[in-house]
Amino acid sequence: MIVPKKKEPIRVGVYVCHCGVNIASMVDVEQVAQYAAKLPGVAVARTYKYMCSDPGQEMIEQDILEHRLNRIVVSACSPLLHEHTFRKAVEKGGLNPFFFQMVNIREHNSWVHTSRAEATQKAMSLVRAAVQRVFHHKPLEVKKVPINPNVLVLGGGIAGIHAALVLANAGKHVYLVEREPTIGGHMAKFDKTFPTLDCAACVLSPKMAAVGNHPNITLWTYSEVTKVDGFVGNFRITVRRKPRYVLEDLCTGCQECIEACVYREPKFKDEFNLGLGKRKPVYLPFPQAVPPIAIIDPETCIELKTGKCKKTCVEACGDRKAIDLKQQEEIREIQVGAVIVATGFRVFDARRAPFFGYGTYPNVYNALEIERLINASGPTGGEIVLPDGRKPKSVAIIHCVGSRDEHTNRWCSRVCCLYSLKLAHLIHERTEAQIHNFYIDVRTPGKSMEEFYNRIAEEGVKLIRGKVADVYPDTSEGANGRLIVQAEDTLMSRILKLPVDMVVLAVGLEPHPDAPNVRRLFNMSCSNEGYFLERHPKLAPVSTFADGIFLAGCCQGPKDIPDSVAQAGAAAAEAFSLIDKGHIELEPNTAFITEAECSGCKSCIPLCPYTAISFLEDKKKAFINEALCKGCGTCVASCPSGSIRQNLFEDDEIFSEIQGLLAEV
Amino acid sequence: MIATQETIDATAAIFDDLRCQKNTSLDNLLETPDGRRILSCIQCGTCAGTCPYGEHMDYPPRRIINMLQRGLIDEVFRSDSMLRCVSCYACMAKCPRNIRLSDVLLPLVKEQTLIHLTEMPAELQKSLQNTLRYGNPMGESSRKRAAWTATAGVPVPTIGEKGGVADILWFVECYTSYYARGQDNSRATARLFHALGLDFAILGNEEKCAGDCGQLTWESGLFETLTDYNMVVFGKYKFKRLVTGDPHAFNAFRIRYPLFGFDYPVDHTTPLLHGHLDRLKPMLKKKLDCTVTYHDSCCLGRRAGCYEPPRELLRAIPGVKLVEMTHNRVNAICCGGGGGGMWLDTFFKAKGMERLSERRIREAIRTGADVLAVSCPYEISRFEDALKTVGHDKPIVVRDVVELLADSLGD
Repeated sequence: MIVPKKKEPIRVGVYVCHCGVNIASMVDVEQVAQYAAKLPGVAVARTYKYMCSDPGQEMIEQDILEHRLNRIVVSACSPLLHEHTFRKAVEKGGLNPFFFQMVNIREHNSWVHTSRAEATQKAMSLVRAAVQRVFHHKPLEVKKVPINPNVLVLGGGIAGIHAALVLANAGKHVYLVEREPTIGGHMAKFDKTFPTLDCAACVLSPKMAAVGNHPNITLWTYSEVTKVDGFVGNFRITVRRKPRYVLEDLCTGCQECIEACVYREPKFKDEFNLGLGKRKPVYLPFPQAVPPIAIIDPETCIELKTGKCKKTCVEACGDRKAIDLKQQEEIREIQVGAVIVATGFRVFDARRAPFFGYGTYPNVYNALEIERLINASGPTGGEIVLPDGRKPKSVAIIHCVGSRDEHTNRWCSRVCCLYSLKLAHLIHERTEAQIHNFYIDVRTPGKSMEEFYNRIAEEGVKLIRGKVADVYPDTSEGANGRLIVQAEDTLMSRILKLPVDMVVLAVGLEPHPDAPNVRRLFNMSCSNEGYFLERHPKLAPVSTFADGIFLAGCCQGPKDIPDSVAQAGAAAAEAFSLIDKGHIELEPNTAFITEAECSGCKSCIPLCPYTAISFLEDKKKAFINEALCKGCGTCVASCPSGSIRQNLFEDDEIFSEIQGLLAEV
Repeated sequence: MIATQETIDATAAIFDDLRCQKNTSLDNLLETPDGRRILSCIQCGTCAGTCPYGEHMDYPPRRIINMLQRGLIDEVFRSDSMLRCVSCYACMAKCPRNIRLSDVLLPLVKEQTLIHLTEMPAELQKSLQNTLRYGNPMGESSRKRAAWTATAGVPVPTIGEKGGVADILWFVECYTSYYARGQDNSRATARLFHALGLDFAILGNEEKCAGDCGQLTWESGLFETLTDYNMVVFGKYKFKRLVTGDPHAFNAFRIRYPLFGFDYPVDHTTPLLHGHLDRLKPMLKKKLDCTVTYHDSCCLGRRAGCYEPPRELLRAIPGVKLVEMTHNRVNAICCGGGGGGMWLDTFFKAKGMERLSERRIREAIRTGADVLAVSCPYEISRFEDALKTVGHDKPIVVRDVVELLADSLGD
């Protein structure tokens, strides 16, 4: 490596990228290069069509040798995209990679301006600023820290389950943390899945069981992450384990306690069946629940509410002693190197679109409730019946409830068209009812999906193009709860007032209401809709802006099961490639203390968002842990004695850059 | 149907943006921000499906949009479809693309429809002429506009009598000045204002119709004549806010008058009184002992998102039990009086269309209520007329919310 001698004159190479026409169409790159060539210290200034290409990079390497360059400025796109590329090229040319400065004349210039002359002027100023700054750059060293090989998967739906299994099968230890008492998520509630109409439980249960039994998976259900410390490779995660009043390691899953409960009959709304069925205070969410361990609901259990129960459950449990009515919540801390967030979605609350009558008329259901009614293990044993026990003779399925609507959610929820077609098939199969699907557009992209649409259409479902505008009771004699569905059949230009026995609302998908809390915990970003934001919509679809935090499933946006599973596999692979390397390289743009000048006032310590600063009691000085410092600069700006400095952001570097920026061209 | 707070917020969201452009015409509409929303139409048919007269229109809003986008809008004017629009805001309130149908597009189409009509419905023509000539659609003398104040039972000063200054300028409007049952509304409002000690005044005989229905049937010339007149009158006096008991006038002052320089805060009597509910409630001593169902007026409900204040006022009256009709709040059915519908009953009947006030009163009757409460002066006469033709076993009366409140004040 070329180590510049102290007295050696600075020789800067400036490279201005065309980026095809992305930059060159708005910025006169030749003029910028000609201008740069005349700046003090600049030895070479060139333009090239694609600086990031191999020939572009080789040009830098060769120029370093031929022209004895010791500083490089590349004026191209955002450093987010290619700073790394060019640092590598500079290093290959024999220089310290930090004798480099990148200038963004694409995102910050050509893409956002409309005057070529002004954009060119701006590019010149930016280049001059970089040239003046790079004079002051110092050689820096990239440090490596070891990485913790464990992974946290947050959320036990199909995405979380799949990601956990992939990593566990590769020999990594996974903590799977799920908020509900069982894993399985929404998929466990479904009856059949489109487009193949295979049974959801048949494909999901084995995977759930595999999670429960896997030696590499620690499964914590009924638990929530409350705190996240540390950084990529070394996260410290605090998990709150809520009491289920049944000890997991002692319970055998025999369910005798449920049988023995003083409530002879189930009496309370059953959450898993969305309130359509009933459960006891001690219950198993559903037969294939994982872990297959009972849970006691403190809101309805007489003993937990009043302390005055015969405790027949404890009696029934006997020597197993698995029931602990005094169990307290537990706070556990785990160390992981990477995190996969797979917290899923919730369905749209149709009461927010009141004219569909959900919550007002008992014969109006949302699609998830219908899934439970169709499911053999659901509250009606798979019978689709109205609240009064009759089978419906005609059913309307209303698409786009809480989707594609400025008043509720603007996005297309992507799965509703297909699940509505599936429900049309299943309801007809069970009841022989005439089904009417009211749609705006039928969207069935994806493998085998259009074929599925054809198949359901051929079965005789009435597909009506028009969004339902009103649902109200039929007031005619003998209507017996019948509803009128009013819509325009837009292909006939005719207003329909269709009497039906049952209305099914194809409710859309939306982020969990507490998604902002999860976002804050993991320092992620959210898109406008509230879904977690991927680092790049095309090229980094499962990464986030927080290093080491990956995304899978519907918490990133609505998607069907195949896509959720594919994304979970991708997230697992990304996490694996991160942790399996064994170490991570730290950006050297960290802050450091000039001990001689530190007054020991401690004002920087509480300001650090990464808890990287500690106080050395013996020396009475502050100390910055390089491994924790993310280079945000807060402490640097706040230090009253100016004793904190930051690599790549030293005063002379910043001030020279500003002077360069503000000087007259 | 029970609306949650979330529903109300969601439906109120549409009302944030009141901007209209004065010079918008069908020719330049698609270049305006409102027009770009029209381009985003997904032709879902919600507008036509929810329109109370959708089945009687060759060109319901969805087809109008399609014709506009295709450059075939002229064909729409050959039909009298738009005459059947009662400006109830149902299409606009439910449009998933937030297209400002009743605010912008439909009035423009309506104006062209009127221009292309070979024969104007006589009743409507007479009302518009009366409004131009006398400042009210009934053709009553403008010198008798404030005559009702003699029977108010409390002093109702004109702003002139108060030295040209008042906190509240109460814009009484036409039906509430001339029509006997409308005056009941005005007398009740005056008593309530007095009880609350509000500093108010009216314009008296200087007042002319605010012109909302003229605007919505898009007699834009008539509307501007009235606006110009009223703006000059406002300019003579000092007042802090304008209050009116007529939701149509309320609508005009909120949405149209700002285009002509009007910038006073505006309120409707019902939400204004709701704002004083803490002080009003102890005064409501007389028990009314009745079951009440409330009809949401289109301009106050769907257009302004004011669903709960009138209901809370009714609940504050001792002995009142509130019940809901099938269609309520954002889903309420129009009385049929808006957009000129007030003067098109004969035309509608000739076309074999059911009167919406009758459709609505049937729902009210089905609730078993003793009182149908309203908050719009048009509705009193429309529903009282409808009760004459729709059979009902149990007596039911139509009263404005302010009338019920004043009744409960006692003596």
